Amino acid sequence: MANGTWKIARRSNAQLPLVIVMALAVVLVLLGKAQPGLFDRARMSLTDGMQPVLSVAHAPLVQFDRWIGSVDELFSVYQENLRLKDENARLRQWRNVAVVMQDRVKRYQSLLHAVPDPGVNSVLARVIGRASRPFLETMILDAGSSHNIKAGQAVVDARGMIGRIYLAGSRTSWVILLTDLNSRIPVSISPGNRQAIMVGDNTAMPTLDTLSQIVTLRAGDQIVSSGDGGLLPPGLPIGTVVEQGGKYRVALLADAASSEDVEVLAFRKPPEQLPASLQLPAVAAGLPPATATPPVFTIAPEPPAAAKPAIPTSPPASPADQADEDR
Amino acid sequence: MSWRSLSVLVPFLCGLFAVLISNLPLSLTNGLIPAPLLALVPIYFWCLVRPDLMTPAAVFGIGILQDVMAGGPPGVWTLSFVITYAVIDRQRDAFAGLPGLGAVLGFATAALITCACAYFIIALYYWQIPLISPIVAELAMTAVFYVPGAYAVGLIHRRMVGPLRSEP
Repeated sequence: MANGTWKIARRSNAQLPLVIVMALAVVLVLLGKAQPGLFDRARMSLTDGMQPVLSVAHAPLVQFDRWIGSVDELFSVYQENLRLKDENARLRQWRNVAVVMQDRVKRYQSLLHAVPDPGVNSVLARVIGRASRPFLETMILDAGSSHNIKAGQAVVDARGMIGRIYLAGSRTSWVILLTDLNSRIPVSISPGNRQAIMVGDNTAMPTLDTLSQIVTLRAGDQIVSSGDGGLLPPGLPIGTVVEQGGKYRVALLADAASSEDVEVLAFRKPPEQLPASLQLPAVAAGLPPATATPPVFTIAPEPPAAAKPAIPTSPPASPADQADEDR
Repeated sequence: MSWRSLSVLVPFLCGLFAVLISNLPLSLTNGLIPAPLLALVPIYFWCLVRPDLMTPAAVFGIGILQDVMAGGPPGVWTLSFVITYAVIDRQRDAFAGLPGLGAVLGFATAALITCACAYFIIALYYWQIPLISPIVAELAMTAVFYVPGAYAVGLIHRRMVGPLRSEP
């Protein structure tokens, strides 16, 4: 550096390569739009390779965060204690109500022969990294496809849903948070079981796109996963509706920033099976089961014009056509 | 391969190292403050001081690694870095002549170009206007980290690139 400015060595003569490189970069963006998973394998290889380093480096950072948090909480311990006692008393009352209601639901289910909810297996994983980029909110878990984790599975902590698996490497996986720009989750709003899509926009509280125009939202409504699409289990607690600037948003129950141990739910809705033939209504009534026999076409000799066949040789008309004819 | 020819790789390797450091998924602030775009410091520095060592192809490679590590849509940071490089390359005399605080403002201008490009590419990519505050925070952090970053790459330039490769 001379006189506070850098000495310029020589002027670049790389104009042509610059144009070519810029064109390549544009092509890369277009390719990325057509195939968003272009770099996924490289990403997962890098993250898998860094897993031991991240696991070791994450622990002191967590301790540091806890220490900072504890210093901050020292000034409000008494007030916090009173608030927690009050909340605990109210939660005990609600617990008793929940136990009674659960018992009642079980009895109704047994009376109605309701199909039980499919079981959900889960994998416990530890958060080893978080990335808050301008256009991506993600966390990295220390479990991957070797632990049967697959893309799309729900990630929850003790309080509620955090996000879903975005990429699964062999030993690590990336979680796309509910607040991320790319997050779209089918949810159900209670009371009323109203359906909506929860859309992340990189703010702390995602927005709600209701599927019906006549749905009215109220602050305090509960948001749970609806299970539409069969990838997420229905009924996962997500958050509550809050009004913010005339718009309704979802205050999430889980705090992704402080979650350390999370569960990855391996849920896949089983395909619907046809009932056994003995359970079919016709069989139960003593009738023979209907068998789908292909129509047989025979070429009959041309009859005399006066004696046209009563049974047409053309394929049988559909019930709708038949009904039209009857009319 | 001689040490002299190896010195050509030093700026590129510095760029890759900066990408790795700035994209480590670890944060002291629980994600409150975004990581700076550290890779922009070696790109800006060597584009001004020795553009023959920081070629468009090297910038392209650094951008690809940034895209892989950052986790967003492919190509966003690559194209943003290349566009920024093109602007710096065309305005080298103006940028390199800035002393003191002006140098920081010059780098902040380069970072602004990068962040604005990334923002508009993302807006076109998703066809919606993303929140502007995260990219503004990223820009501010990148500008703040220029002074220590420029000091580090200046030191590397004097100790490693300079002795190995004579100035033309």
